[in-house]
Amino acid sequence: MTEELDLLKKAWKKDEHSYEQVTEKQIYAMIHKRSSSIVKWILMISIAELILWSGISFLFVDENYLKTLETYHIDALFKGVTFLNYLVVVVFIYLFYKNFKTISTTDTVKELMSSIIKTRKTVQYYIWYNLTMFALIFIVVVISQITYDPNLNFVIENNKDLDPQTFWIVIGLTYFVLFAITFGLFWLFYRLIYGFLMRRLFKNHEELKKIDY
Amino acid sequence: MSNSLEQSFVKQLKENQNIIHKICRLYTSGEDAHNDLFQEITIQLWKAFPKFRGESKFSTWAYRVALNTAITLYRKSTRTVATTDMEGKKQFVAPEDYNFEEEEQIKLLYKAVQQLNDIEKALVFMYLEDKDYEEIAETLGISEVNARVKMNRIKGKLKKIVNP
Repeated sequence: MTEELDLLKKAWKKDEHSYEQVTEKQIYAMIHKRSSSIVKWILMISIAELILWSGISFLFVDENYLKTLETYHIDALFKGVTFLNYLVVVVFIYLFYKNFKTISTTDTVKELMSSIIKTRKTVQYYIWYNLTMFALIFIVVVISQITYDPNLNFVIENNKDLDPQTFWIVIGLTYFVLFAITFGLFWLFYRLIYGFLMRRLFKNHEELKKIDY
Repeated sequence: MSNSLEQSFVKQLKENQNIIHKICRLYTSGEDAHNDLFQEITIQLWKAFPKFRGESKFSTWAYRVALNTAITLYRKSTRTVATTDMEGKKQFVAPEDYNFEEEEQIKLLYKAVQQLNDIEKALVFMYLEDKDYEEIAETLGISEVNARVKMNRIKGKLKKIVNP
């Protein structure tokens, strides 16, 4: 009995010359078109992220902001953090560039997938770094605000008759909700964008791992 | 990019385009999707071409890049209907050697292969192209033994689909 695949092989060989041929002119046109590969999308989104995150820090720095930091007694700390952030961005840009350089379609399927996933991981580390920084700074700002903010202290002083427990619960909850919404939005955004791009790649990567356990 | 490089690439791709068409046939259904994948593979080949040193045949190098693109880089376009046009972009059938029963079974087999996942399709493609297990294993980046085991499983799977 012939194997099914060998029957198919026979047909496959016969079909060899049945494909509609592309002309040289069409090939010329094709090589001048833009790729839509997932690597390109990951690269573009990642660069957008780097710009976004560094852009945000620029956006918020103005006279008022610096004065507020002084009032909160955290201006020195913030100078340090800003410097650190720039350093980190530079390091990530370098890692990023290095990773993308190693992505090569001439590698084995497995190697190519690994290098894409590694690149994606670098982006992920960058995001986690930013989200952690965001959380830490949020906590520091909240504490200094409660300790030093004249407006907030004014409110606290003038509501002495209010149950202090209720007061602090309301304040705490407000901060918490604010934090959760911001954090949640970022998380969702990343899940959606990269989840969409990487789903099939991860599926195939898993399949290959399953074969080569 | 220099013009002579471009010329040499276009000429070689034109001569070896069937190997790309065959990969598109296994990985897509419908003419639009076929052309989309062909386009993306061509771009990836062109990008990788400066690194092609001619150590292997153009066709060998090209099918590897093409498989990598189909499995790893290509995002299936959503506008294709996956179930209907299994014929792909196949154009003419020579009427003199038309054997109805066999033709039906081959149609069924193509349909069965379409149901496999991306990695399995790659294995089937290389099998149909008479690649040995050493090359199959090397292309995918897995061990030869595991490639063999997986291939046998695929054969079993196809047998089941065709003879339920």
